[in-house]
Amino acid sequence: MSEESKKPPAPSSASPEASGRFSRRWFLQGVALSAGTAVLPGEGLLGGSAFAAPQAPARIGPEPVQIALSVNGKDYQVKVEPRVTLLNALRNYLNLGTNTPIDLTGTKRVCDRGSCGSCTVILDGKTVYSCSVLAVECQGKKITTVEGVAEGNQPHPIQQAFVECDGLMCGFCTPGFIVSSKALLDRNPHPTPTEIRRALNGNICRCGTYNRVFQAVELASIRMKVKGG
Amino acid sequence: MATVKTKKTTKSKKASQIPVRYRVIGTRPIRHDGVDKVTGRAQYGADVQLAGLLHGGILRSPHAHARIRSIDTGKAAALPGVKAVITSADIGPVTDRVVDLGEGATRLQHLRDNILASGKALYQGHAVAAVAATSPHIAQEALRLIEVDYEVLPPVLDLREAMEAGAPLLHEDLHTDDLGTKSMQPSNIAKHLRFEKGDLEKGFKKADQIFEREFLTSMVHQGYIEPHNATAFWNADGRLAIWCSTQGGFTVRQQAAAILDLPVSSIKVIPMEIGGGFGGKIHVYLEPVAALLSKKSGKPVKLVMDRAEVFEATGPTSGSHIQVKIGARKDGRIVAAQAQLAYEAGAFPGSLVVCGMMCIFAPYDLEHQRIDGYDVLVTKPKTAPYRAPGATNAAFASETVLDEIAEWAGIDPLEIRRLNGAKEGTRRADGLVYPRIGFLETLGAARKHPHASAPLEGPNRGRGVASGFWFNVGLKSSVTAAVNSDGTVSLTEGTPDIGGTRTSVAMQLAEVLGLAAADVKPQVVDTDSVGYNDVTGGSRVTFATGLAAIEAARDIERQMAERAARLWGVPASKVKAAGGVYRHATDSKKKITFKELAARLDETGGPVVGKASLDTSASAGGGFGTHIVDVEVDPETGKVQILRYTAVQDVGKAIHPSYVEGQLQGGVAQGAGWALNEEYFYDDQGRLANASFLDYRMPTALDLPMIDTVLVEVPNPGHPFGVRGVGEVPIVPPPAALANAIYRAAGVRLRQLPMNPGRVLEAILTRDGKPPSKA
Amino acid sequence: MKNFAYINAASEKAAIESMSDKALALAGGTNLLNLLKEYVLAPEALVNIKGIAGLNAIESFEGGLKIGANVTLSELLDHAEVRGRYPALHQALYDIGTPQIRNMSTLGGNLCARPHCWYYRYEYFDCKKRGGQGCAAIAGDNEFHAIFATDGPCVMIHPSSAGPALVVYGAKVKIAGPGGSRDAGIEEFFTLPAAAVARENVLKPNELVTHVLLPPPNGKSATYEVRHKESHDWPLAMASVALTMAGETAQEARICLGAVAPVPWRAAAAEAALKGKVVNETTAGEAAQKAAEGAKPLSGNKYKVQLVRTAVKRAILAAATGRRV
Repeated sequence: MSEESKKPPAPSSASPEASGRFSRRWFLQGVALSAGTAVLPGEGLLGGSAFAAPQAPARIGPEPVQIALSVNGKDYQVKVEPRVTLLNALRNYLNLGTNTPIDLTGTKRVCDRGSCGSCTVILDGKTVYSCSVLAVECQGKKITTVEGVAEGNQPHPIQQAFVECDGLMCGFCTPGFIVSSKALLDRNPHPTPTEIRRALNGNICRCGTYNRVFQAVELASIRMKVKGG
Repeated sequence: MATVKTKKTTKSKKASQIPVRYRVIGTRPIRHDGVDKVTGRAQYGADVQLAGLLHGGILRSPHAHARIRSIDTGKAAALPGVKAVITSADIGPVTDRVVDLGEGATRLQHLRDNILASGKALYQGHAVAAVAATSPHIAQEALRLIEVDYEVLPPVLDLREAMEAGAPLLHEDLHTDDLGTKSMQPSNIAKHLRFEKGDLEKGFKKADQIFEREFLTSMVHQGYIEPHNATAFWNADGRLAIWCSTQGGFTVRQQAAAILDLPVSSIKVIPMEIGGGFGGKIHVYLEPVAALLSKKSGKPVKLVMDRAEVFEATGPTSGSHIQVKIGARKDGRIVAAQAQLAYEAGAFPGSLVVCGMMCIFAPYDLEHQRIDGYDVLVTKPKTAPYRAPGATNAAFASETVLDEIAEWAGIDPLEIRRLNGAKEGTRRADGLVYPRIGFLETLGAARKHPHASAPLEGPNRGRGVASGFWFNVGLKSSVTAAVNSDGTVSLTEGTPDIGGTRTSVAMQLAEVLGLAAADVKPQVVDTDSVGYNDVTGGSRVTFATGLAAIEAARDIERQMAERAARLWGVPASKVKAAGGVYRHATDSKKKITFKELAARLDETGGPVVGKASLDTSASAGGGFGTHIVDVEVDPETGKVQILRYTAVQDVGKAIHPSYVEGQLQGGVAQGAGWALNEEYFYDDQGRLANASFLDYRMPTALDLPMIDTVLVEVPNPGHPFGVRGVGEVPIVPPPAALANAIYRAAGVRLRQLPMNPGRVLEAILTRDGKPPSKA
Repeated sequence: MKNFAYINAASEKAAIESMSDKALALAGGTNLLNLLKEYVLAPEALVNIKGIAGLNAIESFEGGLKIGANVTLSELLDHAEVRGRYPALHQALYDIGTPQIRNMSTLGGNLCARPHCWYYRYEYFDCKKRGGQGCAAIAGDNEFHAIFATDGPCVMIHPSSAGPALVVYGAKVKIAGPGGSRDAGIEEFFTLPAAAVARENVLKPNELVTHVLLPPPNGKSATYEVRHKESHDWPLAMASVALTMAGETAQEARICLGAVAPVPWRAAAAEAALKGKVVNETTAGEAAQKAAEGAKPLSGNKYKVQLVRTAVKRAILAAATGRRV
């Protein structure tokens, strides 16, 4: 039966090695951390050239339209109605026309109203709530989700630090925090505690991990400094 | 940050073979699920993707109380893309009976009616119909095409009014179970319970002063970030698979089997990673609906709740009205204590008022007590447990009155608690006699902590303390553990991990076998793959699943010893195991490590699998917390700022101290939100006005200080490592501690939660009866 | 959301030609999309105005600033001149929402946002603004609603935090419409519900705010907010103050309240009380008292009357001393 052949992935604690991505042991060995990524120049985040470009169509939809999205350095062609948010597109639309299961479910849908931070992604260098951005508006923009925070197979220092400082409990808000933290460190590699709190106050955690999250960000920033970030 | 104090065990019923110096217990290994969670790989319920998946949606009643005259689903069913539409009529008849959910029993009919209303809508948000369609957008549009004919009835929103004769009734066939006797008239009071000890009137006669106070708390929500979700596939062969976010796969299986009238063996529940539960993900809401939609459409169906639905239609915790009357002597001794607790049950019976009754005076050794509890129906969602359910409301009342008594008697608040404190042998009002407990130790640790004596300078600042109790449960757990040829052990558990328990349980197995935590691979699996487990709840998993893991480890150790014996050709009784090394009792040349032995299992008889299945009749050890908080109250805005917070708790034995600290910090954060920010706003028609994160105000990072934790270790004699449940106690003291601190900062005693700026300000401005003067 | 067409406006003219009561302008989307998700608004099209050239710059203009309506709140906060010369505006924007919200929201969007009133935002409550019969807030939960102009048909509070600051600076807005571009004083821009309950400002469905003009600042200024939560929340009450000083004396005072009325609320009596006085605790307090006079709170928001006094007093002192209270 086709349904059986497309089983959903097994519970996550069995999957790190199986996935072929980096393993727990590899975290424990303190794998070499790469330097911080380049800070992207911020032009008007939502403004500008992409839409004034002559080839931007004047009117699209309401029926689905084909658009190109660049997510974590990879280009996707998706077909979405204008009302589909970027969050929805990332979670549910990226496998259309392919046989591969979606693997970008790291960005979470929680409130869908721009009030909790779990859907945070980086759009052209700035954090946004992907539930409050239309997918059709993201053409020509660089989108980074939690899956794109690691540099290839290397964890980002912030991910390493979160694991070591235990900056997570249930983990549901964690992708949003990771993305917001990365964006902070990209912009401000050595933030003060106040700056950390302020940069992360758009992400809610109900399990109460805030203190450890802030410690993780501080630890990551120290390590990035040591490595010349 | 955390000071871990070890207490010698003076009485231990079992001669433990585990050494007191641990190699793994008490360390802080990296959690097994960390990598997946920081990379977004961890699979939660809404991440499930199946070929042919349909998306569901639920139509919910806009009325708090209404008779459902008819439901016309024709237009919805005709919308292109819609594959199934259901109402309660699709559930089929079931025989009503009581089902046990692990944290309280419910009538099956009520559970069934809660997931799809039959006859009456009993709260705004009550599910009345559901659809499955090819996209979530189409599902939403289809819902708007369903026509329901309601006969609107008066809502019942105030719990005190609900209790009065003549109030509109939610269930016309519900009579009060009044101390065991069924009432003549139907009522919104489902139950009246009483605990009694000694002679209350005699006690009051001994009092130098009697304090009578009344308290109100609002309905609040657990606020877990991940919305409820369920994906169901009802296969053509009658087997039903459910992927969901739950605190108990077996509980979902049980409830689904009961509601859908299926044998449990035909249902497989796969509990996904869970994004927070706190007690609110024990009852089913979506699973049977998804199953029925799948049955009707022939396809897998996914239902994910919207944030508004989570607030409106899951299981917030009871608002309450509590009256206490406490008699005290001038020397600070409490001579009599009486309490009346009325808790909102919501639309169906089953609030946890009994837990509030158990906890309200639990930290104290009081000779004369009477505690009455009322389970009251109101047209609001059926309440569910929220982390130490019932105890926080109760402690808000008792701990603030105790603070008043301390002030009246001129006794330090910590000292008055010590004077009246419960200890081993104290009998609680509900009859339980305490085994070894750690309340007095928490008071001592609090007193010694620098926070207790730190100067607090500046106007408008005050310090408050409060204590709290939660009893924790044990219940049933099963595990299996298989030795791998590389010397690791795969540990299979059935209790979902909501706080780090997969690791804390793995650590216990590792300790027994002499392995490193990283050499144990824990997994939480589906209901077909492991023996029965009760829910993750009641702070039981590190205790009970830990006990099972310990027993499974001992089972493995026995088998491994036999294998070593086989290798050496000696009787098994000659082989001793310690710290992961198997030695011959007398021949020192014969020794082999666990790892070496694991590589040779094939030649000694094949795989080694350990198992255990327990009903832990010993409880997980009651836990006590004593909290200290400093606040600053702005007298011109009523805003309360928490300056410093210290949470002291007896944790038995902290298997993984980071997780235990995390539980304390998390509980305090939630308790602070409950105390200062959170409430349900219903309008007079019973519609929820603030069903969003914008309007239901949970504390953010900027609203909370660093929370210091002190782990006092008073071992639980019921567990080889001394583990006590820890997760729920920390939410109990904060509202009272904050209220007491606000009093010292601003001179006002607040007896209603939340203590938001508006309420605090009005109390300040009308203090002493004087109206506000200059700015 | 109900499905809609998406129109990219390449110019002001193109936007205006596309906009109508069924085709709404879309800037940051943090306010508008939520309303679509709740079915409070169900337009047939959204007109993206973010691509219009010239609307996303902050330029010097006649000694002051000309700010394009598409400038994001983050960009405004990062701008040295806004921070240095217009502290009341900087402070008003500082705690809006969250960093993500500020990255997405625009100044134009902040001025034109629809109300936060929860009876407006959820379709099953009766709301005149949405075409219903009454105002559920008046007899309902009005803890977060207005205390001024509460005898009108709608007791919302205006959601703009930038509004009061722009008022005390005497800002203007540039409005583009079918007939061309016109300037309107910021106070005329906002309209009371009594004028037209379905709107919050003078814009017609096919008009667009293109720029905000800030005249050169003339003295000292500050904004003070009383907040419950420090982020992810709206202020309970706020006051923006601009003082033209001569030594320690306030020659002129402009005081505007936020979060307490359906429009940013000039506290004229407070201004008069402070004018010509040395600014200190006493005079600030007296002005604050005046600011709260005339308040007619609702059943659940009497506490806001005191919050007005607190916010005005502290804003005055912060402006005069340059120190946060």
